[in-house]
Amino acid sequence: MKKAACPRSFEAEALRDGRLAGAERVSFQRHLDSCPRCAREVATFQAIGDRLCDSGAEADADELHVRRERTRLLAAFDAKLAPPERTPAARTWLGAVAAASLLLLGFCVYFRAPRVAAPRTESAVVVDADGAASWSRQSEGGVEKILLERGALSIRVDHTPGQRRLLVVLPDGELEDIGTRFTVSAEAARTTRVSVESGSVVLRIRGQAPLALRAGESWNSSQRAAVSTCPSCESAGVALATSARLTPPTAAPASPLASTRSPPAAAVPSSDRAASPAASAAVHEPDPALDFRAAIAALDRGDNIAAAGRLSSFLSLHPRDARCEDAAYLRVIALQRAGDPGGMKEAAAQYLRQFPNGFRRAEVAALAR
Amino acid sequence: MIVRRAHQASLQDDARNTPDPELIARLATGELDALGALYDRYQVPLRRFIARSSGNDADVDDLLHATFLAAVVSAARYDGRASCRPWLIGIAVQLLRRRRQTFGRFLAVLSALRGTTQSSRDPGPQLQARTDVSRALAGLSEAKRMTLLMAEVEGMSCSEIAAVLEVPIGTVWTRLHAARRELREALCGADE
Repeated sequence: MKKAACPRSFEAEALRDGRLAGAERVSFQRHLDSCPRCAREVATFQAIGDRLCDSGAEADADELHVRRERTRLLAAFDAKLAPPERTPAARTWLGAVAAASLLLLGFCVYFRAPRVAAPRTESAVVVDADGAASWSRQSEGGVEKILLERGALSIRVDHTPGQRRLLVVLPDGELEDIGTRFTVSAEAARTTRVSVESGSVVLRIRGQAPLALRAGESWNSSQRAAVSTCPSCESAGVALATSARLTPPTAAPASPLASTRSPPAAAVPSSDRAASPAASAAVHEPDPALDFRAAIAALDRGDNIAAAGRLSSFLSLHPRDARCEDAAYLRVIALQRAGDPGGMKEAAAQYLRQFPNGFRRAEVAALAR
Repeated sequence: MIVRRAHQASLQDDARNTPDPELIARLATGELDALGALYDRYQVPLRRFIARSSGNDADVDDLLHATFLAAVVSAARYDGRASCRPWLIGIAVQLLRRRRQTFGRFLAVLSALRGTTQSSRDPGPQLQARTDVSRALAGLSEAKRMTLLMAEVEGMSCSEIAAVLEVPIGTVWTRLHAARRELREALCGADE
């Protein structure tokens, strides 16, 4: 026969789980003294707990295993804190990759450097001389000089950034290249002919005003008192005359220049030419960027007179260009550097007239005084 | 060299005598000795708990390892109680639950591939049980097993267990009751 269950036996588990507190707990503990069934229930739960506590020993590891696991744990912890040390194999791989990268870099630099970093003047300037020409070539600092005694040279210049300035030294003057292709001839210690096929050059004959020749224009010795027919050349001549105290080209007689592609400049009245620079620009297709760059290049290399002339030419050729204010200002600076206070003041006054609210007004006004 | 060894020995002695909260604080700052001391102090009860909860001897070392490393990560958030054993047990429980979920998903994928129904229980614990208590424990579900072990072996209160398992306290009581009944049937039935 099965014994009847005590109605309070469920409290045995509640007591073990801590669900009984205070008076309930005291009451049940008093009940345990008088109820062997509930007391056995409590003892059974205690026995189960004890057996559970004793049961885990088989999972214990031996000392060696524990030490090994401890070391593994600390090593993992260390690896988390610090980046893993590279193994010799990894170092070898890294070294190989670095060496390969350096080799590749060196290869690239070796094959790219000649084309990008150091443009060679020798390959950029091609001189074709006629059979009777007597000439030589030399480099002085940043200037590549071609010395022509006699004969005709056809010169082609490939202008690239960083290239040196090219100067053709003539028996009676010099010719500076701005453009790309031209021919120059000399005989009996005199320059006899200059013909520009593309780009532009500045011809400086001793005792004459500097002369700017553009593509399609030519000059010969029979027209020694030369002036340019194009507005740019006129303005350049004026500027140069102002700065270098040369004879103003406007006072010169008829144009010495004859374009090989356009009608003779003399056919166009000078007043019309001055009034319509656009027409002239259409014929010569002046490039404002090229003109400005040439002027800045002249200024950079310290050729202040040429820079002033080119800037003046730029101002008259491209009056609507956004760089006009810069050009006008730089012209003042170029003339100041050239040691021409009169020309500088005149250029400064011109700047102030043209750009009364100019960005450099204050500075130019100070120079104009 | 002798000085360095003596210094290390003194550090280890310090670590052995350090109270748990201070040890955990040092662990949070990345002290290697603190982790070593913590391992020395609690690796046995943790290993037993993990072994009995998972019933899989092969996983015990890895889970123990993961528990201590997770403790390092969580050390800064330690609540400062005198003994960190329940805290470590809680971390182990989380890892065991995560492992069970992963295992369950893996089984689900496998059974989906094979077109078979998945078993609700991992038979491993029962196969590896060496004693009758182990066998009886292995017969419980993992949730009941962990709840019972936390209560009976680790001495954790029901509210602590509820917090660790992230379940209501009533669920803990229910699980404990069911686990005791099943265990009693398995053990006392065999005895009687």
